[in-house]
Amino acid sequence: MLKFIAGRLIVVLSVGLTLSIVTFFLLNYVIDPAQAIAGEDALFEEIEQIREQYGFDRSITVRYFEWFTGIFQGDLGESYYWNKPVISLLVDRAPETITLALMSVSVTILISIPLGIMAALNPNSLIDRMALGIAVTAQAVPNFWLGLIMILIFALAFPIFPVSGDKTLFHFVLPSIVLGASSVPAVMRLMRTGLLDVINADYIRTARSSGFYGWRLIFNHALRNALLPVVSVLAVQLGNKFGGSVITESVFAINGLGRLALESILGADIPTVQILVFVFAIIFLFFNLLADILNAYLDPRLRL
Amino acid sequence: MSKFLTIQNLDISFESNNKNLKTVKNFNLNLNEKESLGIVGESGSGKTLSMLALTRLLPKQAAVSASSIIFQNKNLNELNNKNFYKEISGKKISMIFQEPMTALNPVHTIGKQLLDTYLYHNNESVDKGTKRALEILDAVRLPKYKQRMGQYPHQLSGGQRQRVMIALALINNPSLLIADEPTTALDVTVQKEIIQLISELRETIGMALIFISHDLGVVSQISDNIIVMENGEIVEKGKTSKVLEKPAHPYTQGLLNCLFKLEDEQKKDKIENTPIIRVKEISKSYKLPAKIFKKPEIIYAVKKVSFDVKIGETLAIVGESGSGKSTIAKIINGLINKDEGHIEIKGQKIDNINVSDRAKLIQPVFQDPYSTLNPVHTIGYIISRPLMINENKSEIEVRNEVVKTLNLVGLSKDYYNRFPNQLSGGQRQRVAIARAIILKPQILICDEPTSALDVTIQSQILDLLSDLKAKLKITIILISHDISVVKYFSDRIIVMYNGEIIESGNSKDIISVPKNNYTKKLMSSVFSLKK
Repeated sequence: MLKFIAGRLIVVLSVGLTLSIVTFFLLNYVIDPAQAIAGEDALFEEIEQIREQYGFDRSITVRYFEWFTGIFQGDLGESYYWNKPVISLLVDRAPETITLALMSVSVTILISIPLGIMAALNPNSLIDRMALGIAVTAQAVPNFWLGLIMILIFALAFPIFPVSGDKTLFHFVLPSIVLGASSVPAVMRLMRTGLLDVINADYIRTARSSGFYGWRLIFNHALRNALLPVVSVLAVQLGNKFGGSVITESVFAINGLGRLALESILGADIPTVQILVFVFAIIFLFFNLLADILNAYLDPRLRL
Repeated sequence: MSKFLTIQNLDISFESNNKNLKTVKNFNLNLNEKESLGIVGESGSGKTLSMLALTRLLPKQAAVSASSIIFQNKNLNELNNKNFYKEISGKKISMIFQEPMTALNPVHTIGKQLLDTYLYHNNESVDKGTKRALEILDAVRLPKYKQRMGQYPHQLSGGQRQRVMIALALINNPSLLIADEPTTALDVTVQKEIIQLISELRETIGMALIFISHDLGVVSQISDNIIVMENGEIVEKGKTSKVLEKPAHPYTQGLLNCLFKLEDEQKKDKIENTPIIRVKEISKSYKLPAKIFKKPEIIYAVKKVSFDVKIGETLAIVGESGSGKSTIAKIINGLINKDEGHIEIKGQKIDNINVSDRAKLIQPVFQDPYSTLNPVHTIGYIISRPLMINENKSEIEVRNEVVKTLNLVGLSKDYYNRFPNQLSGGQRQRVAIARAIILKPQILICDEPTSALDVTIQSQILDLLSDLKAKLKITIILISHDISVVKYFSDRIIVMYNGEIIESGNSKDIISVPKNNYTKKLMSSVFSLKK
């Protein structure tokens, strides 16, 4: 098991390293950092002065190593746009995003897993059709639109939930539903097909021949097998939520990492953007690693 | 005395496309306590379905009706599903199945699966359950049974898994065990052990046994009484010895004839003494995935194997799964490359023969006719492919040739435009043979050509092969694990074990006086009819 984790960890680290190189080089080639700091109306001399002052006249490889080694010393760079160290921006904004991500994945799990199980246990029944209907609708509806509709219903028509800001957990209910709904279709369908496959497997017939039936049969003998693919997808979805909440955070005015990313991109704030891309990637890789480890824990055949 | 189990007028039908398909009709059964009953029939005869109906394991689409099912003086028809599962399944009536590879849950340990089943039906402590699980694992003679509790099914061999499966079925001391083809998926030598184990356990536990099988030989060894089924109906029943001695129904007679035929020997043609194939010290090995700080382990599938095949002879290569017999077939066919050694065909090194010429010399026939024919092509197209690729012939010539070959394998030209899924297993195998012989090859390599087929079909296919062999003067290499097929069909036998030839010689000698210990075990594991 330890060897398995070590192997996966090596893969994760090398992907992370590659990613850091690609993002740094891409961003610094696409945007001229000196120009970005100086602003659009700056004179040529001003830009050149900034280039020298900030050291942008050195080769890009040198600057990459400076940046990359800085990360490990806790120096994530200075934001030109916010005039703050990037690290303090991250620390400020991360709690909101973490709360939103965890709550929205909980919403996904609470809706899709029971629905998927019910659908699999009664294939082609009314429940199954309704679940399919919900899945198709949730897949088709864009996030921002669902967000606006929610605001319309729960803030204007029936003022139950606050619609803007991030002061209390209550503020996160609507955005979590919006963000969580987008993952419901994939997870629910996977739960359904997974469980359907397992129910028809030989070992379930064995369990039935031993007298197991009903919920006990499903929970003790089938669910763990059917959850294998679901776990990987959920972990990937959780990774997605950290990076992909840009729109939802903007609609509900939550000051999280997604909104920070949007504002930094608009402000051409290279130091913040490149750290955010790197952090999102690392989070994504981490959850993939977690999914692999969880899968190996659940399925002994994968522990090689 | 009241009967232990009686089933009266059991009907099973399946609803499909608004048609009501009756698969089992008027099934009746009387079973005494501790009796052993065999149910024999070919695939689709309803033998398994009727027992799944008894244990309520049929899919929802199946409609089951029976005028009465009485088990230990209890009318099972009056029992609802919940009570049936709680009181009967796994407690009074247990089942073991054909496929031990998939019948155990891969994500739970052996111990957990046994313990679960025990505690579910018995209100006992975990300690007592563990003790019982160990006791039953010992009883099914699972080697190193104490360590197995924490292991997962994939860490066990097929025979070991079937032992665990039996342990699982017997942990609650049932009074009836239903065994559905429990040895069909296992190697022959393991088969015999499992059969012996089941019949011993039946006596020590004192339970009744219903043994479902397509193999009359196996059933005759283990059962007091026998039921023969065909097309969903019981065609004959009675004492095993009586039914086998004087079968009344033509279907039973047919089944027996096939078996006798396989027990007999077939007339052998003259064999020329010149070899057509010479295999010299060929080896094939596979590297296991490397481990850190260790040299990668090398496993030999075939290790320095040499033999000759003479013109017109039928050479059988026998051995268990993993013995390397199929690897040899694939190497000669050119489907995989050998690591070392060389093969000569008619004096020419096989590496120097181009693919097209090789195809005209050697053709394969494979085991599973259900997956070897491409389902999207017609039979005519499938058979004509080798001709179209390797010979320059007009469309009409090809068509005529295909029809001629179809006739040769006993199929009419009506089959030309049909698709594989419209054919039975036997017909499909005929198509596979037609495809193989259309180029008029001199050598046919048959890799378990009959293993996937029912006995009556088996003997038809073997007859067809020997007929073709005489007509077309083909040399045949037969790969098989089935000694009765080999005995019926082959002139010479090579016995393989772990990638090496351990014995070879004339069929007669090897079958009647095997020298090697493993060969002896292999030969004694064949079930002949017990009377």
